Amino acid sequence: MKLVSSSELIKLQLRVIASLVLRETRATFGTSTFGYVWAIITPAAGVGLLVFLFSLVGRQPPFGSSLALFFATGILTLQFFTELSSKLMTVFDANRALLTYPVIKDVDTVIARSLLVSATYLMIMVVFYGALYILDLAPLPAQPEIVLLAYFATALLGIGFGTLNAVITSLWETWAQIEKVLTRPLFFISGVFYLASNLPPQARDTIYWNPVLHLIECFREGFYPNYNSSVLNILYPISLGAGMLLFALLGERVFRKVRY
Amino acid sequence: MLSFENVSKSYKLQGVRKTILSNFTFAFPEGRNIGIMGRNGAGKSTMVRLMAGTEPPDTGAVYRTSRVSWPLGFAGGFNGSMTGIENIRFVSRIYGQDTEKVIAYVTEFAELGASLRLPIKTYSNGMRARLAFGLSMAIDFDVYLIDEITAVGDQNFKKKSQAVFKDKLARSQIIMVSHSASTIRQYCDCGLLLDRGEVRFYDDVSDLLAAYKEAAS
Repeated sequence: MKLVSSSELIKLQLRVIASLVLRETRATFGTSTFGYVWAIITPAAGVGLLVFLFSLVGRQPPFGSSLALFFATGILTLQFFTELSSKLMTVFDANRALLTYPVIKDVDTVIARSLLVSATYLMIMVVFYGALYILDLAPLPAQPEIVLLAYFATALLGIGFGTLNAVITSLWETWAQIEKVLTRPLFFISGVFYLASNLPPQARDTIYWNPVLHLIECFREGFYPNYNSSVLNILYPISLGAGMLLFALLGERVFRKVRY
Repeated sequence: MLSFENVSKSYKLQGVRKTILSNFTFAFPEGRNIGIMGRNGAGKSTMVRLMAGTEPPDTGAVYRTSRVSWPLGFAGGFNGSMTGIENIRFVSRIYGQDTEKVIAYVTEFAELGASLRLPIKTYSNGMRARLAFGLSMAIDFDVYLIDEITAVGDQNFKKKSQAVFKDKLARSQIIMVSHSASTIRQYCDCGLLLDRGEVRFYDDVSDLLAAYKEAAS
């Protein structure tokens, strides 16, 4: 039985998602003086500080001429991924009160949060890489379309992993702690501050299974004209992300009644 | 239209299964105000949440084509760190209302004055309830679901609330949960009685009240 037209339902869903994005922006950033600007400044300043410290100790960039660019492609990508995954992890619990309005469904809150985090990181990256270019610390990306691909692949993997975490956490709370332990080593095994292609084959084959490594490699492949990564396989994080997202949405549907 | 088709709903609490509805099929008569009565724990609030769609049935389906409100009478769903105005904006946005019009109506109605620009967490319970009631009245629903609404505010505000409510009743339908026979008699003309996992419909409100009295004793 179909009672309400699909176009009307789509309109309703878009309206709900847009309202949720606005509400969440306000709830997360609205209380401080500069509001949303902090969301962009804080991570950008964090990366900037790290780059500054590394250049003080006189570290040479593992690749290319810009230490800042090499670190930024590593850290910003990893941060984008972990931010999506940790923000989505708590999405069902944080929005419990909202479900008293029947037009809002759990999946709407997932979509809204994913959009907000992704849009924020897009801004952060534009501002940070833009600043590097203006300060003459990095050239423009050699292949912008590859950078864009890397951005979307990171978003997909983060949303897939994050939604899966949200579903698992809603069924088994301890998962939130386990996930923290499992993702902690990502900083060391994703090639953030070294060149994966230069690792001994055995080490390279081991970290090959880390999808975040491929995302970082993809960003660098796009920024540097001759990066020639020997490990990059962008289809791996993309299919893993899509698979996890489908599996998570299936889980959300199957276990919906358990959560109420 | 609001109808239940083969709806079953039960809860499992500490190993004890409590059935609220089993294979319940019912089309809520249109244009009539329906009271829902039953003893504590009979599942009245669950039934309202099923109607609103805030809770899914175990099996079966709930169909609604009319604009059904959220279950009124609670002040949940507000974000405490956001101001009254911001909360009003959010709710009118999700229901596709003219935001400014809703703000104007609630400002007029709830008499919260400058407090509307303060975070909700600074509000007293009475202020919250006034905001919630004003907001629900600002949005035009076909069906208002009311779960044990209690009068709030001073004499003046009560009078005003009743006047608005009467005005709404002319165009909308209400489905109301209450223990109070006088409230049910005042607003409803037919009703459902929930009793030990069974639901019976009474076409006449006097029959409903008589049956409730018997079931409750």
